[in-house]
Amino acid sequence: MYQLRAVDLHKKFLSGELSAVEITSYFLKRIDTFDPQVGSFLEVFHEKALARAKQLDEKKARGEKLGRLAGVPVGIKDNIHVKGELTTCASKFLTNYKAPFDATVTKLIEKEDGIVLGKLNMDEFAMGSSTENSALKKTRNPWNLECVPGGSSGGSTAAVAARLCPLSLGTDTGGSVRQPASFCGVVGFKPTYGRVSRFGLVAFGSSLDQIGPIATCSEDIGMIMEVLGAHDRHDATSLPDAAQDYHFDPSHSLEGKKLGVPYKFLEGLNPEAEKCYKDSLKVMQDLGCELVDIDLSILKYAISTYYILATAEASTNLARFDGIRYGVRAEGDSLEEIYTHSRTQGFGHEVKMRILLGTYVLSSSTQDAFYKKAMKVRAKIIEQFDHVFQSCDLIATPVSPIACFPAGAIQDPLEMYLQDIYTIGVNLAKLPAISSPSGFNDDGKPYGFQIIGPRRTDVQVCQAAFAHERMTPFAKKIPPQFDKEAV
Amino acid sequence: MSDFNRETVSTLARLCRLDLSEEEERLCFDEMTRVVDYVHLLDEVDVSDISPYSHFIEQSIDSLREDEIKETLTREEFLANAPDVVGGMIRVPSVMKQEN
Repeated sequence: MYQLRAVDLHKKFLSGELSAVEITSYFLKRIDTFDPQVGSFLEVFHEKALARAKQLDEKKARGEKLGRLAGVPVGIKDNIHVKGELTTCASKFLTNYKAPFDATVTKLIEKEDGIVLGKLNMDEFAMGSSTENSALKKTRNPWNLECVPGGSSGGSTAAVAARLCPLSLGTDTGGSVRQPASFCGVVGFKPTYGRVSRFGLVAFGSSLDQIGPIATCSEDIGMIMEVLGAHDRHDATSLPDAAQDYHFDPSHSLEGKKLGVPYKFLEGLNPEAEKCYKDSLKVMQDLGCELVDIDLSILKYAISTYYILATAEASTNLARFDGIRYGVRAEGDSLEEIYTHSRTQGFGHEVKMRILLGTYVLSSSTQDAFYKKAMKVRAKIIEQFDHVFQSCDLIATPVSPIACFPAGAIQDPLEMYLQDIYTIGVNLAKLPAISSPSGFNDDGKPYGFQIIGPRRTDVQVCQAAFAHERMTPFAKKIPPQFDKEAV
Repeated sequence: MSDFNRETVSTLARLCRLDLSEEEERLCFDEMTRVVDYVHLLDEVDVSDISPYSHFIEQSIDSLREDEIKETLTREEFLANAPDVVGGMIRVPSVMKQEN
């Protein structure tokens, strides 16, 4: 059953071939058996998930209308609220914090009869690119247990790669869905900013954050996007659009589509990354795409812009963690001491560093040189993307310049940030983009191919990835250690 | 090139209500110095023609709702996460100090 996609599980549930209890207990058993090696889940809802599955089977037996995710197990990143369950953000600060309400995405999944299996590990407050910044757990890459799964949604991508759940939710502020999807050989989608409601997501960089799904194929991404991608009045930045239809037609042609390739921007790519990327470009050409050379030289400034804006927003968002109203309160004789001790003991190093940086770039003496400047450069980046999309329909780049790396191999924060070069511009420009598996290096580590579209072209981006996947064998590959039944 | 120094880090830490050990402060200083030097790359971009808020164009006034009263969390639901509660309120150390 683990080889089945979410769309297949849903069909088999509807046809009566599999019951919701069978599906749920099957994946719970896989988690119990394999997750001790992977470390992707922070919490597994054994009883609750089975109880929901039982209700769903009863609902089906009564002949009631079933939801669009009926019978599909879903894992959720631990910065998204599931009412009554812990939302830790993988931080010591929130180890006691129980979500007082459901995030809109959680509500939608449950309304459509999806079954939430548990909460997934991440970099603390989603700050990181390897999931090593989790204060609670180490997550390993199912393709190579010595290596990191990428981040910050490393738990979400590792769980799907090891087939512990067919679908999961991550969040993407600068590449945090796409880069770990690339590292773990699965499909990760970052929707247009505002497409999926952020209500009930713990904020990191509010103008950049977007919830996105992770799966083993684009059809599963489309299936859940049809549920999640709707306007939500609880999120002021939610797009006013109704949910879109992600129909995947195998005969859908990319004939005549112009695919932008920023050749200049890709100089210096390592040979194995370049090979996977060029192979994928060839596939797109075979599908009928015309490759167009585009100029995205402005992206030279994307990392600087991002790390100014994201840390500025993070330092503001994280100011609310004072140990007074929620979270772990440290001892202190005065309010001042409680604030300081709680924050000092509750936050990990990377989080502290980003709060300091964000406060620095916002301080009155530097604001013009950093924050305000970065806001303007962001506007320029958006302009250049808009301009480029006048001459092409979609853009293709690698997801990451490197494959997954051994735990502990990158210690320096700046070196870690520089790996985000291909993903970060997408968040700054609020675009939809997908990571589609595009091959393996000689060590068997996966690479991802990124397809980017103009704002609001979420469906077209996923359809292009679908076409790419149908022509390549990579998305169907399962990490050998987990390509077996749980016993 | 910048006037970013150890003193800056300790001032920032105080403003952010973070108590850094000597060792942590040194590490933060080293790491932040590299990041700050790197982001100075933006100095070379000409933005004289750009309004800083131009990327908000997509935001429409339609997304603002009517100002109507809606049910939110109850007091009990909110206080369930509070670290120290007394009589339906959050307890904190006394703020007013007695003058002698």
